[in-house]
Amino acid sequence: MTTHGEDATVSSELVRSYVITGGRRLPSSDDLSLHTLVTLAPDRELPLGASPEVRAIWDLCSGGYLAVAEVAAHLGLPVGVARLLLSDLAEQGHLLRRAAPPPAQAVDRDLIEKVLYGLQSRFA
Amino acid sequence: MALRKQNTDLRSVRDGLHMETQRLQSGYAALRNDQERALAEVRGDAEAETKDVLKAWMRSLQVLADQQQRSISDLAKLKYGNDPQILADLMTIDHTNSQFGRRAQGIAALCGGWLGRRETAASVYDVARSATGRVKHYDRVKIHNQVSVHVTATAVEPVAVVLAELLDNATNYSAPGTPVEINIQPVPTGICLIVDDAGLGISQEEKDRASALLNPQAPVSITSLGNPPRVGFAVAGVLSDRYGFKVSVDSVSPYGGVRAVILLPESLLTNEAPEPVTDTPADTGTPEVAPRVAAVPAPVSIIGTTAGGLPKRRRAVAVVPPPSVSESEQEPERDSELTASRLGAFARVALRERDTTTTEGSEDQ
Repeated sequence: MTTHGEDATVSSELVRSYVITGGRRLPSSDDLSLHTLVTLAPDRELPLGASPEVRAIWDLCSGGYLAVAEVAAHLGLPVGVARLLLSDLAEQGHLLRRAAPPPAQAVDRDLIEKVLYGLQSRFA
Repeated sequence: MALRKQNTDLRSVRDGLHMETQRLQSGYAALRNDQERALAEVRGDAEAETKDVLKAWMRSLQVLADQQQRSISDLAKLKYGNDPQILADLMTIDHTNSQFGRRAQGIAALCGGWLGRRETAASVYDVARSATGRVKHYDRVKIHNQVSVHVTATAVEPVAVVLAELLDNATNYSAPGTPVEINIQPVPTGICLIVDDAGLGISQEEKDRASALLNPQAPVSITSLGNPPRVGFAVAGVLSDRYGFKVSVDSVSPYGGVRAVILLPESLLTNEAPEPVTDTPADTGTPEVAPRVAAVPAPVSIIGTTAGGLPKRRRAVAVVPPPSVSESEQEPERDSELTASRLGAFARVALRERDTTTTEGSEDQ
């Protein structure tokens, strides 16, 4: 077998994301939103046969709360894939999460004005 | 007396004719030999030329498939990662593309071409997962036994392609829904990758064909592989021969199907994890967005490499922002702006989150 010429470099990722998920359905983005904070529950043992990605999450999340988006970025995985792995861990009770706070409400100007008026008439 | 003489004459004529026949026969045989040799030469030349053309052609396809995979990964990570529907669609495209790339690699291998070289070694487990991703029914493949041994960079693609061909056979020649197992088994001379299916097994004739293709004595003729071509064993034979590992399919799996075994010798294995390719990205928090609490990059240590060759990092301390920190303490950006700005954006979101959530108390579930 003769070969000549230089071999081109392959730079795409070796393990494709659908293999990491096993082709499973991805959870909705409402479940663990980008900015939901996650951390490992105390005194937990790494599940037997954990994949390299789960082990990486284990290492990352053992140091305190991290946002879901941060976990995905550190793993170099699409957020949806990291979310699936995180929700697996959450279901198994390995993960604590802190839900995203509700978005701030616009202030009701009328109400504030009434309060101000009330305060002024009471104390002024 | 006259009769005796006539008899002798006839005998000598007969012997003469006999010799003439033999001469003609050997002449014919020589001509036929020449013709066959000439034909073989012409066929060989034609085959070699065809292979050269195909090789160059496949190379362009391989490069395109690789580019496509990178584009899909970028889209999945940077643009559509948060949308499960789009991400699932991207994965379907990625899966098809992987199979397409494998076909191109197979033809290239048969034509004496390259597969494309990986820059870093990869764990045997990741090579097995990579191979799994290149076949249609990847979801039926289960991989057991993770070992810490790595496959050298040069052998990553050949082993992945050969394993993928064996998995393709295993999944195609067994009932839908039955599992195909990969067992990774250390042996005294290296590592065995054992593929077991629950199909009907293969006939003696098939076994002979496989064993001839898996132990090639001469370059495989691409026209001898049938139409549609059955390239699996031929690809496995060419690649294992070129890179120095062994493939066999002559045993029976515990489920009654075929057991295919790849034996990787020590020379293709390494214990060293590959060196990280990228530098540590630094978090950046801008004063405009987070004026009260600046993002401080937690000390990060690289502990290994992910499946995709990216460095795995471990935070040395908990990521809790200190009450007040001056901006000047931030580390300057050392890596690509993209990664940094991405992480920065995440960090800002996370920090804003922390500021608000701490006042609301914990909502641990």
